[in-house]
Amino acid sequence: MLKIIDLTTGYGPVEVLHEVNLDFKDSRIVTVLGANGAGKSTLIKTISGILRPWKGSVLFDGKDISRMSTSQIAKMGIVHVPEGRHIFPNLTVKENLLLGGYFRSDKENKETLDQVLRLFPILKERINQKGGNLSGGEQQMLAIARGLMAKPRLLLLDEPSLGLAPILVSEIFQTVKGLAQQEGVQVLLVEQNARKALDISDTGYVMVLGRIVLSGTSDELKENPEVRKLYLGGQNV
Amino acid sequence: MFNLILRGLATGSIYSLTAVGIVLILSTTNVMNFAQGDTGMFLTYIAFFFILRGIVPSLTLPIVIVAGAVLGYVVYKGLISKAKKSSHLGMMIITLGLTMIFEGIVATFFGNIPLLFPPLIPGDPVHFGSVILDRQDILCLVTALVVFGILSFILYRTKIGIAARSIADDEYASRVLGIPIDRIHSFIWAISFGLAGLAGIMTAPRLSLQPLFMVVVQLKAFTAAVLGGMNSVTGAIWGGLILGVMENLVAYYVPAIKESFSLLLIVAILLFLPNGLFGSREAGRS
Repeated sequence: MLKIIDLTTGYGPVEVLHEVNLDFKDSRIVTVLGANGAGKSTLIKTISGILRPWKGSVLFDGKDISRMSTSQIAKMGIVHVPEGRHIFPNLTVKENLLLGGYFRSDKENKETLDQVLRLFPILKERINQKGGNLSGGEQQMLAIARGLMAKPRLLLLDEPSLGLAPILVSEIFQTVKGLAQQEGVQVLLVEQNARKALDISDTGYVMVLGRIVLSGTSDELKENPEVRKLYLGGQNV
Repeated sequence: MFNLILRGLATGSIYSLTAVGIVLILSTTNVMNFAQGDTGMFLTYIAFFFILRGIVPSLTLPIVIVAGAVLGYVVYKGLISKAKKSSHLGMMIITLGLTMIFEGIVATFFGNIPLLFPPLIPGDPVHFGSVILDRQDILCLVTALVVFGILSFILYRTKIGIAARSIADDEYASRVLGIPIDRIHSFIWAISFGLAGLAGIMTAPRLSLQPLFMVVVQLKAFTAAVLGGMNSVTGAIWGGLILGVMENLVAYYVPAIKESFSLLLIVAILLFLPNGLFGSREAGRS
């Protein structure tokens, strides 16, 4: 279970996150909403250990992970699926997937590979193609599937809907929902596509300029007039 | 003609061994290693030291590989990884510094006079019908073949090799997955320096042993790497072999441009074929 306390960090001299607090409690899927530059990706990068926190702590199952290396954090079951997919274009789909389970034994990887391919049948058809030859939606599937190869307990998804057609976005969000419900994976979802994100999540946080300004259950947020105006386009939900 | 080609391939396999080392380091660590040739020179002197102590020349093959791997690990851990955070240019200058250190150490202990490095396998040239090949040339070809076989097994069949290729593709993504980048970088430096050693002791018996004997090979290997596209191991292998053959043919038919040929080739490739023969960075659409 993830709990973030008073997290402050940034790049070089620029402070980006200001004392951010976030608590997963029993939620399966938590969404962080925010405009471009709000600090959502920075938050995810700090959790996965790519960025170091300046102050505050990140607790996972009560253990402070904020000083651990990316490898150690990944071994604990926190897997980061980065914004912009970042699949390996010159590696085959299979190689991409196997690297997701870098720390696990070949035998474990083989079993997980079968499970993951059952979730993403399209990848099974393309297993020996190069990652760079997949379409945008397939690449996003591959990025998520690669993350699942580590058998994560917490999946950090950074803008999975970016640059995808609406129908694909729905498909990916349904997959994420299924993962949370059936496989028991907790998901921290960072999104600009507020409506679809809130539809599948239990809890939401709204981030503005590096601060959490609002939080609540997804239903509460959907009803909130400010959220509706700024993130849901002011229409009925 | 056939003889020329075969001997060109033997020379070319030395260029390939060196070029592969350069490309491996460049594509995974992002360092242009100007010391690849001189590392080979340094390791060859170490082999020579053992030969002076009475070791059979062919036994220096495993010695330079192991010594090279250790040296590569030490150089990466001690110098390159320390400079990585501060500057890109710094790492390149470090490799230039290494060439001076290696040349200096060797000149101090062995002097600048050319020394005779014995052939790794002694014996008369072998005749295959009309083709005559030095045993040394056969050794080059066989060694290169074995090394490239092992290398492609590592890069395509083992976890650490696939991870190394992933770093060359997208280092940020590898880091996000928790792949231990530093460990894989040191592994690559160890392999590349092992290759440098091999190239060194393959070259030494053909020329003579002196502090600058690998400088020409470094230049040729660089040409080979450019020919292969700078970021492709397969490209570097083919680049080296093609260069070796072309050079041998040119030396025979147009001896006037023998020395300047590889330099002309670099200019021509960069002008007309900037991605080399195998240098497609992105596969398909991106």
